[in-house]
Formats: sequence, structure tokens, C-alpha cells
Amino acid sequence: MAAQSLLGWCVALLGVGAAASLIVSRRRELAGWVALVAVAIAWVPLALLVVAGFSRGVPEFDVLALPSLGARLAVAVDPLSALFLAVTAVIALAAVLYSVHYMTHYRADGVAKFYPVLLVFFAATIGVLVTQDLLFFLVFWELMTLTSFFLVIFERESPASQRAGLKYFVITHAATLCMLAAFLLLWRQSGSFHLAAAREAMGVMLVERPLTAHLVLLLLLIGFATKAGVLPMGDWLPDAHPVAPSGMSAVLSGALVKLGIYGLIRVFCGLLPAASSFGWGVVIALAGTGSLLVGALTALRQNDSKRLLAFSTIGQIGYICLALGVGVACLAEQPALAVVALAGALLHLVNHACFKSCLFMGAGAVLFRTGERDLDRLGGLWHQMPATAGSTTVGSLALAGVPPFNGFASKWLIICSCLLAGLQRPIFMVLGLVALFASLATLAYVLKVLGAVFFGAAQRRFVVDEVPVSMALPQVALAGLCVLLGVLPQLPLRLVSPAVTAAVPGGIPAAGDVLGGLLGISITVDGATVAGWAPLLVLATGIVLSALVWGLQRMGGATVREVPVWNCGEEHDSGIVRYAASSFYLPFKQAIAGIYPRLSLRAPRFPSPVRRTLEMDSWLYLPVARLMERVSHSTSRLHVGVPQVYLMWIVLGAIIVVGLVMVVAG
Amino acid sequence: MTGLLLSLVLIPAAAAVAAAWSTARAVRAIAVAASALTAAGAVWAATTVWSGPYRDLFGELPWLAGIADSLVFGVLLDPLSTTLLLVVTLIGFLTVLYSTAYLSTANRGHATPDHDQPRYYFWLLAFLASMTGVALSPNYLQLFVFWEMTTVCSYALISFYRDRDGLRAGFKALVMTGAGGMFFLVALLILFVNTGSFDFDAAARLPGPLRGWFVVLLMVASWAKAAQVPFHTWLPDAMAAPTPISAYLHAAAMVKAGVFLMARTVAAGWEVPLPVALVLGGMALLTIFVALSFYFVQDDLKRLLAYSTIAHLGYVLLGIALGGLGSSTALRGGILHILCHGFGKATLFLCAGAVAYATGSRSISALGGVARSMPLTATAFFVGTAAVTGIPPFACFWSKLMILAGALELPGAIGPTLVVVLLAESLISFSWMLYVGQKVFFGATTPVAMVHKDPPPAMSISLVVLMLGCLAAPAVGLALLWR
Repeated sequence: MAAQSLLGWCVALLGVGAAASLIVSRRRELAGWVALVAVAIAWVPLALLVVAGFSRGVPEFDVLALPSLGARLAVAVDPLSALFLAVTAVIALAAVLYSVHYMTHYRADGVAKFYPVLLVFFAATIGVLVTQDLLFFLVFWELMTLTSFFLVIFERESPASQRAGLKYFVITHAATLCMLAAFLLLWRQSGSFHLAAAREAMGVMLVERPLTAHLVLLLLLIGFATKAGVLPMGDWLPDAHPVAPSGMSAVLSGALVKLGIYGLIRVFCGLLPAASSFGWGVVIALAGTGSLLVGALTALRQNDSKRLLAFSTIGQIGYICLALGVGVACLAEQPALAVVALAGALLHLVNHACFKSCLFMGAGAVLFRTGERDLDRLGGLWHQMPATAGSTTVGSLALAGVPPFNGFASKWLIICSCLLAGLQRPIFMVLGLVALFASLATLAYVLKVLGAVFFGAAQRRFVVDEVPVSMALPQVALAGLCVLLGVLPQLPLRLVSPAVTAAVPGGIPAAGDVLGGLLGISITVDGATVAGWAPLLVLATGIVLSALVWGLQRMGGATVREVPVWNCGEEHDSGIVRYAASSFYLPFKQAIAGIYPRLSLRAPRFPSPVRRTLEMDSWLYLPVARLMERVSHSTSRLHVGVPQVYLMWIVLGAIIVVGLVMVVAG
Repeated sequence: MTGLLLSLVLIPAAAAVAAAWSTARAVRAIAVAASALTAAGAVWAATTVWSGPYRDLFGELPWLAGIADSLVFGVLLDPLSTTLLLVVTLIGFLTVLYSTAYLSTANRGHATPDHDQPRYYFWLLAFLASMTGVALSPNYLQLFVFWEMTTVCSYALISFYRDRDGLRAGFKALVMTGAGGMFFLVALLILFVNTGSFDFDAAARLPGPLRGWFVVLLMVASWAKAAQVPFHTWLPDAMAAPTPISAYLHAAAMVKAGVFLMARTVAAGWEVPLPVALVLGGMALLTIFVALSFYFVQDDLKRLLAYSTIAHLGYVLLGIALGGLGSSTALRGGILHILCHGFGKATLFLCAGAVAYATGSRSISALGGVARSMPLTATAFFVGTAAVTGIPPFACFWSKLMILAGALELPGAIGPTLVVVLLAESLISFSWMLYVGQKVFFGATTPVAMVHKDPPPAMSISLVVLMLGCLAAPAVGLALLWR
């Protein structure tokens, strides 16, 4: 089938699904199943499109044109778009399946404002990913923001939701306006909104008006980095993620935030000629490093499980940006390292989508059963919610970059690229080391989550069941993906590599030879293999060693004693004496209290003299009106109603007129 | 064709007369039928003249024979007049439909007894007739006549409730827009004395400096009509009118007559003197920011919307001024903004009306959590907000984009400066409107907002159609203006 009709079917099915779920929205579960079926069917043409995008690329075609503006809705799917489409599709399907039961626990809010909006959101996301025209890109982009805003403020009566939603929309709208300004400046140069025309315009501008060109790039950086959640503009993210319904939080972190990265790649690999990209690469890498440091350290302090994960998203996006920055910086001089770095960025993006969605769903599952997001009050859920606990553990370890899970493979690529690039440019060495040690903080906070939620005992005993299958299944499936992509990193690399090549117009010289390896990843620079990671070997060794230890223990006849915790002789309930989540990292908490300040905005007001000037009624119109009134009032006093007085006026008037005539005549 | 266009004026005029003599029950049917017929006729006319402008003159004034062009009355339908005609008739029909439910004793904000109905519909239909007359005018003379008729209708409708505030506000609007009309009259006389013609393009024959004064006089008239600084103070007070009137006269239609005059003048094809165009643009920019500064102190939802209307009329005039400076994209963008803003702002006003109908309150601070019981109204309000503040893909995004793009067509630093300034204004006004929307519709339900359901069907239908209009208007407008 032609790509046009595939895309048309996909969007049409989402639209029908939105309408259908709106119609049946009174029955929460049914609406969820309807939405799920719509998404599942819509993903069939989308999958074909993705396959076509990866295999031979979908050539550009026009859907609609605005010749007056030089804009046309041109659609194409290259491997980069296809990769993001695939990630979005997987996360979307998992999130909708998860939401079917999850959404039943909202009592006050109907799902009429969830599923239809969510499906429109997916359609807008697809639009963003396939559009080759900047104007329509912006239209889809803002439609995506608009719909996600309504998903964030889903809980109507919660002030926190409303505030977070407002902050989210205002900040991201500001970013969108920055992008609009940048697109308009490019349009002024080329007269067209098409991506290819913008690329040429950028090349010309860099030569003729470098200042404007760099302003455009800065505006685009601000625009996309805001959506990606790079600090400081990503400040909306830690507020918006926790308040959204958990399925939506998973989509926010797994798909929406990633589109910011998509935009950055399109701009800094696609628009910007490689020759002048070094400086911008450094800027992006610095922003990423700052983000990953602050994100990880701030996540340590959080006691709200979803807020912690939101800060963790900022941190992980920081890793992706760091790699992206290194890649952009190396494009001109060391294309091989650029391939490594960009592949690391994209691979980490894929991996992050898997484990962070899994973790948000896990936090949501706990919230669904216990009604708690506060880590201090949770505990001991390991035995009661084994599937959630297991998948959250896998996700957490993947997030912390523990081998052989998927987070390790991509972080390894990122650090490798930093260190290798650092041989020429020491700044990347420093950034790489910072990122390496920030991983420790990541490990610390995931252990905190695991320890606080699933191990130990809580003050309040929860007697809860595992979540329903429809909620457990997506978590387990995503956790399984984390393991699979970790053990066999060469599989995702096969999709990532063409995406890297497609990101740079004209491709990267000798890109195909850099990353390889049958058993994992190996990096070959200038014909020499400089590094490698073979998870299967490591895993096999680990299994052999574990078996050895287990065997030795069995042979030696060692016994394990289980004793209660010793509380210095005091008899306390284990829930009270337990080392709570907030106690875990008290020193950190005190040390980095001020690192992430809160900002409260007030409505802008003019100074009072200006405002008084603007109140024109009070100093202009009313005085004039009153003057008129007074004049007419005093005039009216002449009219006293006594005939004699009128007679006197007439005589006086006659005398004056006669006098005047005599003066004039005489 | 001439007959069809004439009927667009005559049908509502005849219906107005009929309405004045009929009962409260019959008057609603008459008004809805007449306005629906007018709207259908306007759509038909718009499609049949799609290929090119249509102009036909037939009426003459005997005592002007030999002095002026003999034919001074007629009809003109080009893209500009089609735009205004569509706004006036479509939103007019929806307003009438909405009014049939809004003006009732069930209205908790303003109960209206049955015996007041004929008076209301008489003035509303008379306004509709005069506004189509404005849109179809082929020259300044006819435009002036219908222009003053809209002023009178506006006065009567603002004062409709006959309370103290309404009477004062109506009088104020009459004085201020009437004073503006005097400037128009002077301009008209200058034109007639010097060229012997009332045509839009006759001004090309005026000597240089006189032409400048001619445009300045028209500009003052249009500022007064369109509530621009320094004549903006009548519009917020005019919110004493019934809400459908505020939506129709003071957001979608009558105030657009002011900007329509400038659009006609600038689009006539002769060169507008540079200083005049600069003053027009500068004042428009000033108006936008003055109006913005009043957003933050409003507690009455309708007054907030009124200031927003002032700002958006500023956008239209800015586009027209840029057109005067030589950018045709901006000129068309400004005209497109007439259409887009008409739909967006009418949606917002009718939502405010629906809220007041159900709760009896328009106070932003007293309302909260209205979406719980009025989901449709809430949806419409957010669609309207998105449309007015320019969130793609809704209406005003496209027109603002055209104005900005047009600004960038001009050489020099004007374009980039305007882009920065206007985007900043967009962001601030968007943030505030969103904040207000959230405050009124979400959050905990306040005692005032404890109501049970969305407004009656007639009002709901209007809201739904307007929401669709917010999406469709730019598509129609773009096709119309750039065909």
C-alpha cells in the first residue's frame, strides 16, 4: 500500500477511536478497551510505515499546500523518523493497555477527557515525526502540547495538577514561540518553510549574516531543549509528570520528551552544516551535563516516587544531550566518534523510553493499589505485588546502568564517545567523567526507591493484591524489553545506525564500519577496534560464577540463620524503627538543599503612573464631559422662565446689535 | 446576483419591522428564520462570486446629478467584503439562535421578560441589515450611511436592560463612536468636493497633502469605531449589554466596521502616505499593549474579553498598516484576522454568557470548577482561548502568522522587532487567558458555580458550531483571500 494511504488509515483510525471512546466514555473500562483496540489497529499501518521507513525510506509527498506562504504539508519517513515512530508506538500501546484499568480509580473525573485527547495526542505526535515542513511541524507540535496539557490537568479539582499544567503550557508555549520566530527568520531568507530550503537558508545565513544565523540556532535550541526537559527550561517537567495519570506520565517521559531530542537532532545534525557545528556541540554537551548532574542530585532528595522519576528523566535526558553534543561537535573533525556518540544518544533514548515508562507504570501501580506516592509511608510490597516489584527492579537497575540491562549498553557508548573525543578535546573528557560519576547518584536513588517501596516494612501495613493483568502485562513486557535490549544490544543498534546516518544530510563518511560486533558492540576507529562490550560473555561468566558459589555453599554445608533486626533491646514494631526513604540520603539532602530553587511568578503589571495615564476616562473624557455639563448648566441658568427677564435679554441684545452695526457702518 | 445581495440587506430589515409588531413567541421564529436565510444567502453569494469580484451600481441621488458620478448606491462583493459578510451573517445567525435561549426568564444572570423580546430582535435584525450594508458598500457614501446606522443600533442594544449602567454605557458609546463618525463625514466631504466622487479609489485623485489628511480623518473615525487608543474606553463599559450583543456587536461585527474602513482605504490601490501608515501601525501597537495591561486587573470575565477584543482589533489595524507600508501578506493577514478573531472571540463571549446564564455570575474570582457541570461550555471556552491567542491549528494562529510574515517582508529592522514584540504579547495574553480559564472552569467548585447542567440546546448548538468555525475559519479565509 502507498505511504499516503497508510498514514491516512493510521490517522483515521485514531480519529475514529477518539470519537468512539468519547461516545462510550460513561463506561470507563469499555472506553479504555475501545481506545486500545483503535490504537492497536492503527498501529498496523504505522508498523508498515516504520518498516518501509527503515528498509527503503518513504519518499516525500505532499498532502496539502499553502503556496501563498511557501508552506506545504510534505510528508516523508526516513530511518530517524521511523525510529521515533517505533518508540512512540510501543510506549503508546503499553500506556493505553495500562490505562484501561488504571483510569477506573479516578472517581471525580470522567475518561471522556482522557482517551479521546490521548488518541489525538498520538496522531499529533505522528504528524510531528513525519512532517518535512517547518510550519506544519509547528502546528502538529503545538497540537501535541495542547492535548498533553489537557492530559496533565486531568484531575480537575487538584490545585497541584492545575498549577503544573499552567506552568507546563506557558513554558512550552514560550518555547514554541521561540521556534516560530526562528522558523520565520529562516523563511525570510528562503521564502519557503520546507526543511531542505531551511537547510540552504541556514548555509547562506551563516556566511552572510552569522549573527542572525546563530540567533536562529539559539532560539531553536531553547525551543527544543524546553520540551526535552533540559534544565533550566525543563523546569515544567518535575511538576507535570507526577500529577498526570500514570499512563500519561509514561507517555510524557517515554515519548513526548523524546520529541525535543528529535528536534535537536534535526536542527543540529540536519540544518547546521557540519563545518560550523563544533561550538554548538559543546553548548549542547554542557547543557546536558548540567542537566544530568542537577537531575540526578535533585532526584536523590525526592520523597514522591513520581517526582523522583521526573527528576531522573531530566538526568537521563542530560545523558542523551551530552552524547548528542559530543556527536554534533565531532561531526566535522572525527566523524567516526560522531557516529559513536549519536548512536549512544539514540540508543539511550530507546532504552530510556523502555525503562522509564516501566518505572512510571510501576509507581502508578503502587499508587493504584495503596493510594500513596510518598516513599516514607510505603514499604514491604515485594511479596504482595511481585510482578510490579520485579519489573520495577529490572527497570531501576537498567536506569542505574547496571549490566547486563539495556541502560548499561547505551551509557557505555556515551561514556566511550566522551572519553575518545576527550583525547583531542579535553573538555569532553571532563564531561564524560562527570557523567560517569553522576551514575553513582542514579544508582543511589533507584536503590532508595526499591528499598523504600518494596523491601522492609511500612508503618501502615498494606494488604493489597497485585494489579490486574492488564496493568501488570505492560510493565512486565517493558521490563522484558530492558533485558532483551541489554543482552542483545546489537539488535537495537541495527535500527539506530541507519537513523544516525539519516540524521545527517549526505550521511557520515564510513559510518557503517564504526559500530559492529556479533556478540555485542565493538567500536572501530580508523580500522582499529578500540573498545567492545559483549554482554553475553559477561552474562555467561556471571552465571558460571554464581553456580560455582552456590555449589561451594552447598558442598560446605553452610547454613543461613534468619534473625529479627536487633533494636538495641527496645521492643518496637519493625515499621517504626525502619530506615525510611527520607533518612537514606539525609546528608545529600542537607548539602544540596539550594541547588534547585523554586521560582514563583507574579502577573506583570505596569508601574502606577503608567496605569493612571492609561485610565483615560478619569483624566480625559470625564473631565471634558463634566466641563460640558457645567457649561450647559450655567447656560441654562439664563433660562429663568420669567418673561420680563427674557424681554430684558432681547432689549440688551438689540442694543448690542445696533451698536455693532453703528460701529461697523460708522 | 444583485438581487441576492440586496436581499441580504432587505431580508433582515423586513424581519426587523415584522419583529417589532409580533408577539414574543413569534418573534424568535422570525428572527431565526430571517438570520438563517441571510446567512445561507451570504454563503451562496460567497461561492458564486468565488471567481472574481462583483460590482453593480444602480441607485442615484437626483440632486447630485451632474455633480457626482450619477450612480452612488449599489453592491460590491470582493474578497474583503466577503470576509466581513461571512463574519456578520454567520455569527449573526448563531447569535440570534443563542439569544432565543439566552433571553428568557430562566437566565440567572439577567432574566428577560417576554414583552422585551420584540424590541431586542428589532434592533438586532436592524443591526444585521446595516452591517451587511456596510460589508457590501461600493463607495464611501453608502458605507457612511450604514456605518452610522450600526452606531444607533449599538446604542439601543447596549442600553437594552435600561438600567443605570446600561444607559450610561450606551450614551458613552454613542457619543464616542458618533464623534468618530463626524471625522468620517469630514473626510467624505473633502473627497466629494475635490473629486466629485465617493468611490474608494477616488482618493487617488486627491492632491498629495490633502490625501494625507483624508486618511488621517478616516483613521480617527476607525479608531473610535474600533475602540482603539485613545478612544478605547467605551468598549469595556459597553459590556453592560446582553452577552450575545457583546459577542456579536462588540467583538465580531460592529467594531470590525472600523477596521473594515481602514482595510478598504488601504486596499483601494493607491499609496497611503508613509507617515500616516507609520502612525496607524504605531497606534495599533500601543493599543495592543495598553489593552494587555488592563487584563490583569479585570474581575469581570466580559471586561477581560473586551480588552482582549481591543488588542485584537489592534492586530488587524497593525496588519493593515503594514499593508500600507507595502506588504500585501500583512494586509491579507489583517483581513483574515477579522474572520478568525470574529469566530474565536464570539465563542469566548458566548461561553461567558452561558456561564452567567447558569450561575448568575461573571466574576472571575467568584467562579471556580464550572467544568464539572458544564463540560461543553468549558470545552468551548478553551477552544476559544486557543483560537484567540493563536495556538495552532486554531483560528488566530494563521492570521497572526500572516501578519508576522508580512512584517518580515518589509526591509529593515521593523519586521524582526515586530515579531519579538508581538510574540511577547501573544505569550503574556495566552498565559493570562489560560490562567483565567483554569480558574473559572477547573479547581474546586465554588458555591456560585453549583449548577447542574450545560445551557439549553439552542445555546449549546451555537457553541458547537462556533468551535468548528474556529477550526474552519482560517481554511476558508486563506482560500478566499489567496485564491
